[in-house]
Amino acid sequence: MTTKRFEICPAAEFESGERRIADLDGFSVGIFNVDGEYHAMKNDCPHQRAPLCEGKLGGTTESDTPGEYDWVKPGQVVRCPWHGWEFDVTSGESVFNPHKVKAKTFEASVEPAEDDSRTPDGEVDVIEGEQRATDGGCEGCGVDLEGEEPPVETYEVDVEQGTVVVYL
Amino acid sequence: MSQDAQGATPDSRSESELTLVDADVHQRWADDEALVQYLPERYKDDGLVLPELLYRNPGEFLRQDETTEDGGKPGSDLEKIADEHLDEHDIDYAMLTGNSWFNLAALPHRDYAHELARAHNEWLVNDVLPVDDRFMGSMYVAPKAPEKAADLIREYGDHPQIRQVMLPGGAEVPYGRPQYWPMYEAAEEQNLAMAVHPFSEGHGTSNPPTGAGHPNNYIEWHTLLGAYYMGQLASIVTEGVLVEYPDLRWAFIEGGYGWLPHFMWRLDKNWKGLRSQVPWLEEKPSHYIRENVWFASQPVEEPERPEHHDQILEMMHADEILVYASDYPHWDGDDPTWGLPPMDDEMERAVKHENAAELWDLPTDGSELQ
Repeated sequence: MTTKRFEICPAAEFESGERRIADLDGFSVGIFNVDGEYHAMKNDCPHQRAPLCEGKLGGTTESDTPGEYDWVKPGQVVRCPWHGWEFDVTSGESVFNPHKVKAKTFEASVEPAEDDSRTPDGEVDVIEGEQRATDGGCEGCGVDLEGEEPPVETYEVDVEQGTVVVYL
Repeated sequence: MSQDAQGATPDSRSESELTLVDADVHQRWADDEALVQYLPERYKDDGLVLPELLYRNPGEFLRQDETTEDGGKPGSDLEKIADEHLDEHDIDYAMLTGNSWFNLAALPHRDYAHELARAHNEWLVNDVLPVDDRFMGSMYVAPKAPEKAADLIREYGDHPQIRQVMLPGGAEVPYGRPQYWPMYEAAEEQNLAMAVHPFSEGHGTSNPPTGAGHPNNYIEWHTLLGAYYMGQLASIVTEGVLVEYPDLRWAFIEGGYGWLPHFMWRLDKNWKGLRSQVPWLEEKPSHYIRENVWFASQPVEEPERPEHHDQILEMMHADEILVYASDYPHWDGDDPTWGLPPMDDEMERAVKHENAAELWDLPTDGSELQ
């Protein structure tokens, strides 16, 4: 399948711990820099279509024993601003039920610098290409999210010529 | 039921031009000074000192996607509420319930709590309600000072947009006790509903949510809000408030409703054998609840099987007593588009606007509140 390439911004302006929300050809996508690694996830909660990626970003807890906490995945978990459901931005998986609720993530990366000036900060530059992602609807929406298919996608991100690029 | 009490017929109900009434929208002030300016001199230096909720929510209590343009807290931009919630969802009227950490029942000092209530109401009528005529206001009172609360209700109750008097979910003693009745007499006289909404229950001078004691964290506290409501409702019904003030309407907001079948059945069953303890209840207790008390839908109950939700609605007589609420802009809100499960047309009309029109005596042609 062909993919569509979107330049987000110079990697130098997108630091670790930051996130950006971009409209990529009609898809609202959250791009995250988690410890130098870029990740992109569809900004659309599978529960009630809320802007998932605008929620609080941080870590979460795990435990082997009641009363004891381990702090895990720092900077890697977004909590939906509606109802607080947690998703791992690197995989699109739901924290409370990873096999049944998954958010859509996209490819995101930084490519070597070539001509940063062509992509003004905050603007998204669309490069020619066929669109692969066709899921603009709400498959799997609702409270019942059983199933193997991720209801919210993640996408590939690269850094190309010093620019963060997302592939849908 | 209540359409009978108000003389309306099923035909006139179906002629309503309303589409959606929201029973729970939280507005707040951007800066404490908005209220402090209305405090008497003796309290101005104190500012606003209330028992904020000590339980924390890892995802925050306010919707992070609704932060105002200048970075203010969600709900602090009143025009944003009007534009992005009311306009967006075609809401005819929205009940503004205020800032729910402002727990006047949990303050030990009666006079200070009463003056905070007055300052809140001044802010409400001067700075909030004029912003949009679809806003309905909840006036605040200090439940520990019921005589003064009654005076406040008479003072502010004539404002056309003020439609209810707000009580926190928990107080020092249950709301059926006669000490509170002066408030109820005034509210009935002013044609205002009494409303109960969660604040920082369990803090300050309010009781823990159950006799089991204080919850350990927010998930436990938030799950138990219905326990407060069961306690208040049992008190109000059995002490005879709904007999003494038959025209006083009550709104129980954000305490759930799935427990109502159990509660009403158990109360009715006990009444059959224990009626002599409450001889003023000439009808079975659930009769008074169905006549006088409404329940807000948020947070919607989510049974494992969707058809069980329809059964809950049927068992609790939701067509008479359930009103839609969004809880905008709080973290656990029910969006008008996605929050309500499917229900048949008649039930949907009742929940979306007909029951609210009865609860707050709203014009069904959507005209400006008089």
